[in-house]
Amino acid sequence: MSRTVEIARPAELSELAQATLRRLLRAWFDFERRLARIPLLQRLDAGTFTREDYLGLLLNLRQQVIEGSRWISRCASSFDRDHADVRSAIIGHAHDEHRDYEQLEADFVASGGDAGAIRTRTRNAGSEALHGYLMYRAGEPNPAGLLGAMWIIEGLGEKMAREWASRIEQLTGLSPDCTRFLRYHSENDGGHMDKLYGLLDRLCTTQQIADDMVCVAAVVGRLYALQIEEIDGE
Amino acid sequence: MNAYITSTGAFLPGPPVDNDQIEDILGRVDGRRSRLKSRILKANGILTRHYAIDAAHRTTHSNADMAIRAARACLSSSPVPMRSIGLLSCATTQGDLVLPGFGSMVQAGIGIPEVELHTSHGICSSSAMAIRAATNSLRLGEHDSALVVVSELASRLFKHTRYEAAGGYEAIDFDAEFLRWMLSDGAGAWLLETRPRGRCLRVDWIRSYSHADSFPVCMSIGRPTDQADPRSWQDFPTYAAAEAAGALLIRQDVRLLDHIVKLGVDGALRLIDEGLLDVARLDHLLCHYSSHHFRSRIFDLLQMSGAMIPYEKWFTNLYTRGNTGCASILIMLDDFLRQGSAETGDTLLCMVPESGRFNVAYIHLTIVEA
Repeated sequence: MSRTVEIARPAELSELAQATLRRLLRAWFDFERRLARIPLLQRLDAGTFTREDYLGLLLNLRQQVIEGSRWISRCASSFDRDHADVRSAIIGHAHDEHRDYEQLEADFVASGGDAGAIRTRTRNAGSEALHGYLMYRAGEPNPAGLLGAMWIIEGLGEKMAREWASRIEQLTGLSPDCTRFLRYHSENDGGHMDKLYGLLDRLCTTQQIADDMVCVAAVVGRLYALQIEEIDGE
Repeated sequence: MNAYITSTGAFLPGPPVDNDQIEDILGRVDGRRSRLKSRILKANGILTRHYAIDAAHRTTHSNADMAIRAARACLSSSPVPMRSIGLLSCATTQGDLVLPGFGSMVQAGIGIPEVELHTSHGICSSSAMAIRAATNSLRLGEHDSALVVVSELASRLFKHTRYEAAGGYEAIDFDAEFLRWMLSDGAGAWLLETRPRGRCLRVDWIRSYSHADSFPVCMSIGRPTDQADPRSWQDFPTYAAAEAAGALLIRQDVRLLDHIVKLGVDGALRLIDEGLLDVARLDHLLCHYSSHHFRSRIFDLLQMSGAMIPYEKWFTNLYTRGNTGCASILIMLDDFLRQGSAETGDTLLCMVPESGRFNVAYIHLTIVEA
């Protein structure tokens, strides 16, 4: 069996990867501001977020979490043999996360939600748009731009773990046993960042690819925000 | 037309007060030692500061007094006659009087006749607004000189009696006490002219980005302790009732403070993107936030993206002068120039973050020789 080629954290990013990371950071900050303007999350800030809000959040995130492993797997399979190292890294990532939704469902039930209700839930308009976009992008040859999607979605996972989980417990009186999905992403966080730096350096080979990553990050940020906006709309 | 900072001055009231002496001056709430003081001081790293009140809570210098002294210090090292100044641009977070504007009181104290007056309103970034107004006025050719005077008198808010009037020791939460161990008093002044004079600083550009549309209030005076009570301090039947409800305490929503670091970085990245800020070429960063806020994740990201300004380029007087709010950046530039490490051709970025409702201002300067 051939040796697995790992994507490691580079000592220094190429100039193009550095510039792209700066643009991705700005796309992230823009996304955070979009989130901060959504009433559901404003209630989290204002301290009026309820258990019902939390159930609504989990109910609406589930579809995207299930579909998450699908687009990542498709994305991995769309990289050709010249990108075998990238493919390995992304398959590993898909494997890590492909059963996250089970944790999410368990949290929903532990918080007082009905198991049947979450399992039969359909995608909201934002989840539908986000999923459709990611699956379309993932089917393109060598979809390096999707690193922009991973950047936003991973960043949000980390934000949920660091900022949302304890705040939700504090406001709803729920125990940490009910927020395990939210907290999951704080584990092995450094490892995720190292892999991301590695992929960024590896994939930022042309300005066009770099622009594409930033474009995907911007679109995913908007569609993800739409998905959360839709929770209140239903 | 350009604007040049041709003179600076500062005034800090009384002797430096070290951490052990703070409660001797501000007082102990209900006679008890603070539970939070050492934790907050450890986090902000401040070792000494100045107060314009004494241990008996007499005001030794009013806010306008400090502003006037800083203005005189600035003008005393300049040949520009006070009477010729075209614009007086002032800022403070809270004047001695609620009305009229702070600038009027400063003008009266300095005695500049028939000057155009500007007062900006806000917290820390009100200083950048006053500097912006002065710079614009010179660039438009409206005046040949403008005096910017910014002063902060926070300590009057921190008397133990204020907290006792709002419920006392047991009623004071972390957010209401946080700034008591953070803010202190002082004033600074810059003289701006349309022509360089000796070794001076050219104002290359000023930019600011406010994010009040996205985030809630983070630092405020005027809201009662009960967050469900929507009243402003002016909605209470009497000011005594407002004070009893905690509506006259200065508060910081500490949970939201991380945003100011991120927004500060976001603005800097935008300036890099627009080609205004060249991190590799920058010689000095002046900021009244301590560098330890930039540890861990954000530090790593800045480092990896080539946007980190190395710590050896950071200048701050926070640890010895305290956090003087809106006056900070003016006092800091004065200290920076006096410590003598600046050379002709050096570039400086002054960063003024305001957590009030999230506004960050950036002022880029270059040291030039006339």
